[in-house]
Amino acid sequence: MAGIFTVYRKELSDHFGSKRYLILFAVILLLSCVSVYQGADFIRNNTQAGFLAIFSGARSGYSFVQLMVFFGPILGLALGADAINNERTSGTLSILLSQPIFRDAVINGKFLAGTTALAVLTLGTIGIMCGVAIPLLGFGPTLGQALSIVFLSLLTVLYLAFWLSLGVLFSVLTKKVSTSTFASIATWLFFAVMLSIIASLIVNTIAPFPSGQRMAPEIRESPEFQALMQKRFVLQDSISRLSPTYLYSEVASQILGETRSRAAFGLSLGGPPSFGSPTLTQSVAASWPSVAAITVGLVVCFAASYLFFMRLEIRPGG
Amino acid sequence: MSEPMIQTQDLTKIYGDHIAVDHLNLTVDEGEIFGFLGPNGSGKTTTILLLLGLSTPASGTAMVGGYDVVKNSKEVRKIAGSLPEFAGYYENLTARQYMDYIGQLNDLSRTEIEKRTTDLLADVGLTKWKDMKVETFSRGMKQRLGIAQALIKDPKVVFLDEPTIGLDPEGVKEIRDLIFRLNKDRGLTVFLSSHLLHEVQVTCSRVGIIRQGKLVATDTVENFTKELAVNEEKSIEFKLINVTPQLLKELKGIDGVTSVTKENDRLYVYMAEDNTEEVSKTITKNGAIILLMKPREYTLEEVFMKYYQEAR
Repeated sequence: MAGIFTVYRKELSDHFGSKRYLILFAVILLLSCVSVYQGADFIRNNTQAGFLAIFSGARSGYSFVQLMVFFGPILGLALGADAINNERTSGTLSILLSQPIFRDAVINGKFLAGTTALAVLTLGTIGIMCGVAIPLLGFGPTLGQALSIVFLSLLTVLYLAFWLSLGVLFSVLTKKVSTSTFASIATWLFFAVMLSIIASLIVNTIAPFPSGQRMAPEIRESPEFQALMQKRFVLQDSISRLSPTYLYSEVASQILGETRSRAAFGLSLGGPPSFGSPTLTQSVAASWPSVAAITVGLVVCFAASYLFFMRLEIRPGG
Repeated sequence: MSEPMIQTQDLTKIYGDHIAVDHLNLTVDEGEIFGFLGPNGSGKTTTILLLLGLSTPASGTAMVGGYDVVKNSKEVRKIAGSLPEFAGYYENLTARQYMDYIGQLNDLSRTEIEKRTTDLLADVGLTKWKDMKVETFSRGMKQRLGIAQALIKDPKVVFLDEPTIGLDPEGVKEIRDLIFRLNKDRGLTVFLSSHLLHEVQVTCSRVGIIRQGKLVATDTVENFTKELAVNEEKSIEFKLINVTPQLLKELKGIDGVTSVTKENDRLYVYMAEDNTEEVSKTITKNGAIILLMKPREYTLEEVFMKYYQEAR
């Protein structure tokens, strides 16, 4: 056990001292603080909206949840994508593994350190957001809302840890840091941009709008058209569910009490989000499959990197 | 002597269809400085990786310090220090922080780490730079830090893979002296791989020559050179003043002398059978003054080339 804590401490201090981490932290913090002002503005203009809207309400620009949807993958991947291969190429891995530690101490320690760094980033950002919002609004969260914030924080850490584990997996599978970096960028682009495009392509192929350029209002009102729209929505939704970012935004919306999951891609259904007030237990119950899906993704990525790393053959020349 | 420090039995490692180490049988005793000599790509590094348990053999076994390298690789790494080939160092750490990290990975206590770090950094001459970041270090300094790192666990055996590669002559000498000192003071067994014949010749007590994964010969350095000298004609190197053409002619006429060559200020006399006495007499008789006279020694390079060519 000595090995894992030693690696953990060293990696954590590396993260906290690295410019990469500090820059990411600064960017997220800055954007989040901007989003707090937007959220506060939103709350003032929506009597229904509660304190939690500082995380989701934004009329222009990004809310915290949207920020995480968009930048979360970058955060996690950036901290993980050079975990192993950087040590391989720089020749430090062979010395590290020549020490009397079990090999899993290295990957576990690195993963835990990355998760801790991301947790500090998340909790720090959310904490500062609350600190900015309370004087701005003149009121704070209720107990229930505070609990929701705790859940949102945990969810965000879990979500970021998933991306971290994917980054670590890339760093185990590839030899060069540049390769894993490009793999990370490609993955991010896929989930952030490509998937929704692919989803609409599929939707338009399977359930196209009826032909004919003009749609008379009576057609729009017809039950067939309603059914078609419903089908399109379900399809789009099921495909989008493949993306952890979508799952995250969905669960986050539920925790924050939005009735519709639209934060991620701004699906063009419905008007502005309406703020029902499901109890926290209700929203947790409703969102657990998505949470489970993210967790499974995390476990699978981590297990895969673990297995590949344990089998990694140290060869002459790195 | 009790059991050997390193013992391999038919140790074999295969990468794809390339046999990197081929039924290697090797024994290194405690307290030896063993030189592992071979051209690039002959399997030296792979053997060291196998001995440290960083790579798993296809077949065969190996024991280091009495531990099986596959079943007890962690125990092996407790008693075996290593300076790998192309070793890298965490550039953002200082020398002391680096030593601290390695010490902690070896589960040493804080006081032990501090004491050994101070001692070892003094041993390798890095005391002055102990609080400097590794990124500011020169190649030689990094290499010395690498040796210090390998020793912090107070190992019984240390594997040095090409330890002087890329170092200047002074750095090479410092490292060699350090190896001698550690071997003498602590009885440390040293397993040194190199493709530099001279280095192995002057540093090691015993040498194994590896070629294409096979151990082609093991012996002491003296025996290697002796063996070669027996088979070859004898020759003597002179440095003389007043060399006359007459002298050269007379030398060539001596019984047993096969040829005489003059290179710069040196004169080489080759003999089929030893007739040093007569040669020396002839020189003085001709009025030449002998400044230097020594039997020509065979370098390991010649031994090495011989085995090399035989194997080919």
